[in-house]
Amino acid sequence: MTRRVALVIGAGSVKCAAALGLWRALNRHGIELSMVVGCSGGSLYAALMALGYDLETCERMTRQLWTREVTSERNTRGILAAIFPRLFRFDGKFGMVHDRAMGKALAGPYGGRTFADATIPLHVVATDLENGQRVVLSEGSIFDAVRASIAIPYVWRPWQVNGRWLMDGCMSDPLPVDVAMREGADVILAMGFESPYPRKVKSATRYAFQVNSIYTNNLLRANFAFHNLAHHAEIIPILPEFDRQIGLFSTDQIPYVIEEGERATEAQIPYLKRLLAELDAR
Amino acid sequence: MESSVEQVGNVTLVRVSGSVDGLTADSLQTTFREQVDAGAVRLVGDLGGVEYTSSAGLRALLATLKLARQRGGDLRLAAVQPAVFRVLELSGFTTILKLFPDVDAAVKSFGA
Repeated sequence: MTRRVALVIGAGSVKCAAALGLWRALNRHGIELSMVVGCSGGSLYAALMALGYDLETCERMTRQLWTREVTSERNTRGILAAIFPRLFRFDGKFGMVHDRAMGKALAGPYGGRTFADATIPLHVVATDLENGQRVVLSEGSIFDAVRASIAIPYVWRPWQVNGRWLMDGCMSDPLPVDVAMREGADVILAMGFESPYPRKVKSATRYAFQVNSIYTNNLLRANFAFHNLAHHAEIIPILPEFDRQIGLFSTDQIPYVIEEGERATEAQIPYLKRLLAELDAR
Repeated sequence: MESSVEQVGNVTLVRVSGSVDGLTADSLQTTFREQVDAGAVRLVGDLGGVEYTSSAGLRALLATLKLARQRGGDLRLAAVQPAVFRVLELSGFTTILKLFPDVDAAVKSFGA
């Protein structure tokens, strides 16, 4: 049989950079992926890998993407519209932070690239603002898919893709192993994280991050339990262990995060190789 | 993975070591099932020697838990190591399984 190995990278902001360490380990051992699935922060890395960027470039791009600058500009009109909806014509979409800097940062690696450019099949998860449904984006603009997938509620405005207003995938499926199951994966490497809580809740934006993390983490556990029991083959959780707090913008910790991702993956490589050999022999 | 079974009072203790994964979980589930089928429904799984569990391991534990509880008993876990605990916690299993820091505490929890 032809076994299909999927990598699923869940939500988790800067922690998602651990996926680069995982990727490094897989490359070292010659383990090829049949698909990559990403959600929220994980979509940034899933897309980078699928587009074939090398590890060094990915690390550099991470530093450019995760900067305080991306949350530094208030969306003044949006905030006023939320407070005075009639006066400023609240349009049903809201984000406290202007997305200008983020759009600029995302344009570098993803601008003009489509899913057809991916060297590994890529799926990005977002959430439909209208009805809460999980939306899997597998074609079209990668920029749009990633921008939608990381549209953290209250922080950034949702993003329109094919006529639907989409927001952060963590709202519906923080660690979307079910997408890999549906796409026929036999072995699923699931790199998931509990979303970090801000060190101090000293602004409305931080408050939004705090609340989002609470319900994302609860949803993560509920979904992951169900998916573990539903999958016929194997889900291998790869959970890097961090001995220090990794905050929302701990970009100085990125090399450490990558290293821990690599370490956690290396620990599973012997089992993964045995499992793949067993599946290949069937 | 290796497992061994011993009786501690009216509790059946299954000591497990190694990795409980897609290649070994069936064997562990069989070990537990044999005990339950023989009427030993008060089970303690000593996971002190288990360094890893995957989805297959979680399914084996849950299947055993359901079976033991259906027969009026329970599966309780002892000495769960941090890496396994994180998987149990992430999957919500810590809310339905009873965990104890060591075998003694798990055995005593049955009133043995």
